[in-house]
Amino acid sequence: MAQTPPADPPLPQPDLVAAIPRLRRYARVLTGDSSRADDLVQEALARAWEKRRLWAAGSDLRAWLFTVMHNVFVNQRALARHEKLHVSLDAEGEGHEAWQIPVRATQYTRVELMELMQHVGRLPVDQREVLLLAVIEELRYEEIAAVLGIPVGTVMSRLSRAREKLRAAFADGAGTAASLKIVK
Amino acid sequence: MPLNPLPITDADVHAYVDGQLAPERAPVMEEALARDAALAARVAELQKQNASLRDAFDPWLAEAPPQRLVAATAGVAPVRRGAPRWLGFALATAATLVVGVAMGWYGRELSLQNEGTPTTFTRQAALVHALYAGDANRPVEIWAAEEQRLVRWLSRRLGFPVRAPELNSLGFALVGGRLVAGNEMPTALFVYENPEKQRLTLQVRKPTNPGHEVAFRYALEDGVGVYYWVEENCMYALSGNLDRAQLLAIGRVVYGQLAALEAAAPK
Repeated sequence: MAQTPPADPPLPQPDLVAAIPRLRRYARVLTGDSSRADDLVQEALARAWEKRRLWAAGSDLRAWLFTVMHNVFVNQRALARHEKLHVSLDAEGEGHEAWQIPVRATQYTRVELMELMQHVGRLPVDQREVLLLAVIEELRYEEIAAVLGIPVGTVMSRLSRAREKLRAAFADGAGTAASLKIVK
Repeated sequence: MPLNPLPITDADVHAYVDGQLAPERAPVMEEALARDAALAARVAELQKQNASLRDAFDPWLAEAPPQRLVAATAGVAPVRRGAPRWLGFALATAATLVVGVAMGWYGRELSLQNEGTPTTFTRQAALVHALYAGDANRPVEIWAAEEQRLVRWLSRRLGFPVRAPELNSLGFALVGGRLVAGNEMPTALFVYENPEKQRLTLQVRKPTNPGHEVAFRYALEDGVGVYYWVEENCMYALSGNLDRAQLLAIGRVVYGQLAALEAAAPK
């Protein structure tokens, strides 16, 4: 009695492994915390395997994984709200203090980069997310719109607001290095 | 390219800074930047902001991924509640091991020994059994429908002839097989299943100590029974979550069939 093979082909494992650092970075920007970020990545990878038939082989795996992880994050937040867990849901960023400070500094000092990360962490998560995908991951606006399931116009307005907030924060000279709590 | 001479918008500025400005807008932007100092200053500021963001967040890419995330890329079915405690770690380790060997992970030689997990042959066999027999989705690479191709492939990879014993008379049908990248040498794995959905695995590989023969031995590793024997050129491990007597009976049949094949094979 021969078994029927499953219809879904596996995801390309080496490409998944190669995507882990970018997924972790995106997850840290979303959650503001290194440990929760890794939990989110793990959950996203499990969900990606579950839903692998939705990925068209040869299409951009990284963008699809981002989409999966974004959706897992949104669902987790909705669940937390529903269960009234202690999650900071205000418009300002959550728990960004736990980011590690960068070890490399080029034309910017460590202090400047620390302050920048602090300010990014204080952005509303919707704006933080667009900033990361546009500037750090260098996705095209249309790709970002697909990942987040929003119109391109919304991508542009969130990006514009994020950049303006960062500009204003540095113009005010706000933020001090001493107040940054460094946690692994 | 036809020019779009409309005045520069906020969206144009962002697109220009992100390298996404439509080509027909480029000459208009260049002209505006040359003419309008305030615009030029704003663009320069945004470009600096971009550069500093990358400086701040790019170093994270250099971190080596934690083992549990590498393991998560293997798509192994999650450990069920009530499974033995070592199973979760062992599954993750084994999955990492398979990926690691396949990818030459960071040039390090990943082995079960280095990771501090138990390395006896029976422990390994039980671990491999748990990893693949427990996988609902993809326990095997090549299915029983292509048994001849499976056997040819495994024989080629192991460097000696392997066969899938026929266990239908015992109620176990061949599901299929795969190659397991072990920490020392490749192992052929055959998976069988009975109508009660219980699974057996037979693992075949070259022995670590050639010439050191071992008669039938039994080990129980956290609910997984392993019967193993070592012949001159080959090690076998039959594993399953079955009672010892049942496993022994199956082991005898497997042994008998393989011995008969060996005797009948042209020398």
